[in-house]
Amino acid sequence: MTDVFQLLVAGLSIGSIYAMAAIGFVLLWQTSNTINFAQGEFVVLPAFVMVLFLTVFRFPFAAAFVATVIVSTLLLGLLVKKVLVERLLKMGVLPLVIATIGLSMLIRYSLQQFWTPLALPFPAIFSRQPIRVGGVIFSSEEVMNVLSAAIVIGTLQLLIRRTKLGWAMQAVAQNRDLASVLGINVSRLVGVTFMLNAALTAVAAVLIAPVYLVKYDIGIGIGLKAFYAAIIGGFNQIRGALLGGLLVGLVETYSAAYISNQFRDAFALVILIGVLLLKPEGLLGIKEEWA
Amino acid sequence: MALLEVHDLHAGYGKMEILHGITLKVEPGQIVSIIGPNGAGKSTVFKSIFGLLPVRQGRVLFAGEEVTNRSPEALLRQGMTFVPQGRNVFPLMTVEENLLLGAYIRKRSPELLEEVQRVYETFPILREKRTARAGDLSGGQQQMLEMGRSLLLQPKLILLDEPTLGLAPLVFKEIFRIIEGLRQRGQTILMVEQNAAKALEISDYAYVLELGKNRYEGSGEAIRNDERVKRLYLGR
Repeated sequence: MTDVFQLLVAGLSIGSIYAMAAIGFVLLWQTSNTINFAQGEFVVLPAFVMVLFLTVFRFPFAAAFVATVIVSTLLLGLLVKKVLVERLLKMGVLPLVIATIGLSMLIRYSLQQFWTPLALPFPAIFSRQPIRVGGVIFSSEEVMNVLSAAIVIGTLQLLIRRTKLGWAMQAVAQNRDLASVLGINVSRLVGVTFMLNAALTAVAAVLIAPVYLVKYDIGIGIGLKAFYAAIIGGFNQIRGALLGGLLVGLVETYSAAYISNQFRDAFALVILIGVLLLKPEGLLGIKEEWA
Repeated sequence: MALLEVHDLHAGYGKMEILHGITLKVEPGQIVSIIGPNGAGKSTVFKSIFGLLPVRQGRVLFAGEEVTNRSPEALLRQGMTFVPQGRNVFPLMTVEENLLLGAYIRKRSPELLEEVQRVYETFPILREKRTARAGDLSGGQQQMLEMGRSLLLQPKLILLDEPTLGLAPLVFKEIFRIIEGLRQRGQTILMVEQNAAKALEISDYAYVLELGKNRYEGSGEAIRNDERVKRLYLGR
């Protein structure tokens, strides 16, 4: 019975990382109607950048983390927006979506070719000292992952609900044309959203790196699961993506432990198909009839 | 001096030119209507004045200043607001949030909140519904929200595109009453309206467009009684 609780924390830990990437999906979808199929690589690249700062430049951990978030925001946020999004979004959504698939391959195989095809170790961020509560032993790393993700997501929610920038993001998501009539610079806002997404994936990168090791191809799985999570929870709701992420993490962890480790990736798909059949707008999604 | 002057305006989409030289003038305190059949380019006039569609040739002067091809943000700052056609609200945000977004370009200030109260006095139903989702309002209430939102910046000029489109007769009478009330307060309005006869009743001046060109113009009264206009557009 105690392992049920241990697995709960383990599932929430990995799930909260999926949730961050899934929330990024939702943000980009809402403001620019873009599905970023390079989202997985947007998590992998910052992990490599973090390794670079830690092992090559020998930055202390906190400095390396801040530097990683900044580099990620500029590279995967600002640069991607200027070079890809600004040019392609004019031609419709599909060219940009296809371009993100290309971008994911470019990042993935550049890392393999020019950096390393091997898995790089990543130092533990939090102490691996187990925490004992009653008879149950938790990994403190997992608990800290959940807490860190909660802080990041909570801050993001506050930003969206309470600040002018957040209101503008909601406005663009709900009625783009009207937003520009009211003087909201939609293009600049799309840029800000890409930067926010990149910051979010950078945090996810640093949390997931000690769990998965840093390897060029781990983005495939992370990107897919975040995508499932966003669909399961509802692509137009941040809390939907949060729920979806946690659910995917839990399902994956429990099914690996109790059913089959080899099929661990399949169970999230079962849920995905079930949701698409029964509630296609996602568990917390809203039907976009007004769009 | 006219508040708004449009000279020989040309604009269009891609290779297609829709406006082939539109000229019009709005004096302060007036309600001016643009009428004409579908495809005359009425809404296109608004989009090109408001910086949403590039002006290819011609000039727009606002309060004596050249504003041709200025961004919506710049025009809002100079005192022009635009209420586009169709129901245009942020459906998942509350009525009050929708209103406040009308003043997005301004800093949140006590004066702004007073202005919100003034809008509530003009549209009491909005105060009543201020915590409701804008998407749950009726068509007429949404139109009031849109007009209230455009008043929030205390504009010199409101561009009003088809305010009664798709509204029930009783509701559109109410909207026209409100527009007249705004005029009594000295609000200048340039309006495109499908209900031409009704619009002309409250207009000081009117322009009739056809296929992207000026066709007739005159006082609201004169245009309403013009036999040619009656035959062509008023369906009488």
